[in-house]
Amino acid sequence: MEFTTPFFREFAESYSERSGPRLAKTLRPDVSTEKLRKICKSHNAHDIKSSLKRGLQLNAALADGLDQQEVQGWVDVYVAYWNGAKAILAARESSGDDGQSSELVWTKVYAAWTELVNVLIRGYQNCGFEAWTLPCLYVVCKHLRVFASNADDERNNNTSIDDSAAATFQDDFDPETNKRQKLEDCARVLSRVFMLCQSDRAPLEESRKWGIYYIANLLLKTYFKLNSASLSKNILNSLRAGGRDMPSFKAFPRSQQVTFKYHQGVLAFLEENYVDAETYLTEAWNDCYKNSVRNKELILTYLIPCRLVTNHTLPTEKLLAQYPRLQKLFLPLCRCIKRGELHKFDLALQEGEDEFVKRRIYLTLERGRDIALRNLLRKVFIARGFEEAKDGEKPVRRSRVPVAEFAAAISLGSQERIDNDEVECLLANMIYKNHMKGYISRQHGIVVLSKSGAFPGTGV
Amino acid sequence: MASSQTQIKKDDKAAAASKAEAQAPEQKPAALEEDDEFEDFPVDDWEQEDTEAASGGAAQHLWEESWDDDDTSDDFSAQLKEELKKVDAAKKR
Amino acid sequence: MSTWPATSAPSGVPPSTGYAASYSAPAYTSVHVRQSFGQSFSTPQPSYPAYGPTQTSSPSAANIPPTVNPAPPTAQEQSKTKIDWPDSVRRYVQRAFIPANLDASVTRSDMETKLKETITQANENGVMYTLDWDTMPLPQHMIREERARSLLPLHSRPQVQPPANAPGTTKKRKSWDQADAAASASASPTPPWRTGPTRLEDRVSFPSDRHQAGAEQPSKNTSKLNRADKRQKRNEGEYTTLREDTPPPAEGPVIGTCQDLEKRYLRLTAAPKPSQVRPPHILRQTLELLKKRWKKDQNYSYICDQFKSMRQDLTVQRIRDDFTVEVYEIHARIALEKGDLGEYNQCQTQLKALYKLGLKGKPNEFKAYRILYFIHTANRTELSNALADLTPAEKKDKAIKHALDVRSALALGNYHRFFQLYNETPNMGAYLMDMFVLRERLAALCNICKAYKQDVQLRFVTEELYFESDIEAAQFILDNGGQDLLEDRNGTIIFLTAKAGSRFDARRATAFSRVDIKGQI
Repeated sequence: MEFTTPFFREFAESYSERSGPRLAKTLRPDVSTEKLRKICKSHNAHDIKSSLKRGLQLNAALADGLDQQEVQGWVDVYVAYWNGAKAILAARESSGDDGQSSELVWTKVYAAWTELVNVLIRGYQNCGFEAWTLPCLYVVCKHLRVFASNADDERNNNTSIDDSAAATFQDDFDPETNKRQKLEDCARVLSRVFMLCQSDRAPLEESRKWGIYYIANLLLKTYFKLNSASLSKNILNSLRAGGRDMPSFKAFPRSQQVTFKYHQGVLAFLEENYVDAETYLTEAWNDCYKNSVRNKELILTYLIPCRLVTNHTLPTEKLLAQYPRLQKLFLPLCRCIKRGELHKFDLALQEGEDEFVKRRIYLTLERGRDIALRNLLRKVFIARGFEEAKDGEKPVRRSRVPVAEFAAAISLGSQERIDNDEVECLLANMIYKNHMKGYISRQHGIVVLSKSGAFPGTGV
Repeated sequence: MASSQTQIKKDDKAAAASKAEAQAPEQKPAALEEDDEFEDFPVDDWEQEDTEAASGGAAQHLWEESWDDDDTSDDFSAQLKEELKKVDAAKKR
Repeated sequence: MSTWPATSAPSGVPPSTGYAASYSAPAYTSVHVRQSFGQSFSTPQPSYPAYGPTQTSSPSAANIPPTVNPAPPTAQEQSKTKIDWPDSVRRYVQRAFIPANLDASVTRSDMETKLKETITQANENGVMYTLDWDTMPLPQHMIREERARSLLPLHSRPQVQPPANAPGTTKKRKSWDQADAAASASASPTPPWRTGPTRLEDRVSFPSDRHQAGAEQPSKNTSKLNRADKRQKRNEGEYTTLREDTPPPAEGPVIGTCQDLEKRYLRLTAAPKPSQVRPPHILRQTLELLKKRWKKDQNYSYICDQFKSMRQDLTVQRIRDDFTVEVYEIHARIALEKGDLGEYNQCQTQLKALYKLGLKGKPNEFKAYRILYFIHTANRTELSNALADLTPAEKKDKAIKHALDVRSALALGNYHRFFQLYNETPNMGAYLMDMFVLRERLAALCNICKAYKQDVQLRFVTEELYFESDIEAAQFILDNGGQDLLEDRNGTIIFLTAKAGSRFDARRATAFSRVDIKGQI
């Protein structure tokens, strides 16, 4: 919004209403180029400060007793915003024709916008900005991430410009991260904002602690993009440590709760902590906004492999049918597991490998092979039928199975034969992992299965 | 809204498919993509009744056991016997 | 005995020399392999700081004839009188003047000057006989590069020395880069890791019947597994990844003028003086010298320090070419052999980026190590990332496929397959696998004890867990608290699995809990 009378009225009204979201709108950079141009042209570098000051002071009364210090703080904020707007306008105009430009225009936008964040931080630290204005911080931080990514992309596409790796004289860092320079910087800025929120000692009802999950979520998204699980963990630990003086998690908006639970769940998942992962992802799923199909799909992408490991359950075909992408991803595997088709399972895993690996679920899905194998062995057991029934007694399944029979089942559908020692090894694993109850008698080449529940939890 | 979204997705898919065809199979598997990021929700907060759990998600049959007993095991027995014969034959050779 | 003398010494111990450490029945022939490995770890190595800035005299000075800074005229005089040209140099000169290699833009006299300069320098630096002249860029190429380099804005400063190695020369160095291990093993000088057979089966002196022979040949080596432990401890104490404050960026790359072959590593906090940085053609000679010294002295802390300073010189001059790759590859291999995982990991990380630039080298070999490394450190996230980085073609590469198979065998608990793969490890992967074979043996043993009743023959354990002999297998069981689990039944040793129950579970858990390696990025 250009800095003319309507802007000052808007500012003052937002202030008197103490409406953070309304105030935050005045700091949005995602407005039309036409609007940006108006903002930039409404002032020049010499008069921007004084006219902002005059405007805000004139409306101070309307703004419900805005004090001098606060006025000064907001003047600085809007000057920084104005500088940012100029940089964005320049970036949009220069990349308008062919999308390419000789200068690193987004790097400039990023720099200007970082300054805006810094000025805002000072506003909270020194000028008495109140917690209800937090949405301003949200809007500004959210776009900082966008600009950081733009700047990185622009630099990476423009290889002639950058060669800063050598400038540090060291080679003991990951050169890959250089590609994400600005995003890394953004993460540092955001973690300062995180600290700003976390360290507020004001009473809870007017504390910046209410901003903590919004910022934490931005940080988590950033760290995910940087592929840094360890930094993500730091955030979680830091939240856990400050838990006592925090508002209850349930008191935060659902959008923040669900986003946080999702990231928490995926992190646990990546560490193979599937029990926690299932808890967090299930909570995210249950609370998720019903119309956010894409987010529900993302939650299930990790929840499905997770449940396969934790309690060996599969998604129903009905559930998958609602998400075509997931259906394509998981249905073939799920069918093979259910039917105990070991070889086909291997093929299906191979088939989807690229996609699975990309989503970091391959290693988890691979463990579904144990379940497929369990089901196959179970089928062998069932197919062997019962001992000859003694009069009046309940029929008992034949529990002594030749290793060779299991071996034959394992090689079903495959051209490859594996030797009996390897088959025994697979059987030993089934027993070790409690998928199968019994023991191998090597001397006799048989497996003696338990008469009470040879395949625990499967009714046989 | 929902329908237009699916439309876009379809188009994306078609575009992605044709792109994949155009490119050699040597294409590098990418890192986590932009579109893998958890999206901003269209609203900040919502009522219990607008959650997935309340809107029928929980009532739905989402998960099932991992084995299937509907399979006619006669079929399987026959296959297994056949395979055993093959293995025996291979051994004798 | 040096670490890679296998061309001369009968190398003979297969994967698991470890378990006969305390066993030395005179009836058995002792076998030595990788022994220096263990030995060098039993004597404490000075750590890098010993070379630090406060010291005035280099510890290496005692071993190395002082390198005199070039005084060209005198040196040339000397060379004229003294030099008995080695064949390799003659071949190099001949190669330069082969018509097919001539370059119309370079005059004959320019070439001669350059040739003289190159050879003289090699002689002064004492590497004339060891430098790989067959892969040395020809004088005309050096000159062309010099010209090209002077045109680049970043390299516009006057050149004191010609770059001996820049991307443009790669074509002429095909033989070096593309030589496979076997071919270059016969060439001289030989990169040390290529000298010895690295396949485990090659290291076995009795490959025909492993079990039979194995039963008679326990090793007297110190336990390899213990060595692995020491390696790890050493790493933990020694290395941190913390970056110091980043110095202000330099304006452009430094163009080095330093003529010394050796240089101690110092962490820089400001742009170095050109006089302290060695240009590429000197670094090439340095590499030759270091290879020689490594082969001879096996002084790892010296070698590591020198390699770090080479890497630094390359970094500050922004040299990222095939030679850079070579330096990192060699350092990585040496570090790997010495179990210095921190340093190895630094090299591996840089190599990953260098390969991405499309430079020559052995990307598949190192991608395979990378996978094994992440298996060892149990870094699931990085393992996932490493998998995501592979192309379909790479997945079919022998070494990478091996590493992937190892991973999947372990993921599925298929110890049978795992130990087969252990025996088939390409390149130097066995050094990495050595680091986790102990814990996998314990895991397999736990499995067997739970699954088999009442007992199995000891021989079965020997075979499944790929022990060298029954004795080694027995020793392993004894070492892990199974004194009462072995029984002689009419001359057959029986392992009482049912009695063992979950006896080994705790040791297994301990073995798996200690995989934290400092220096991991």
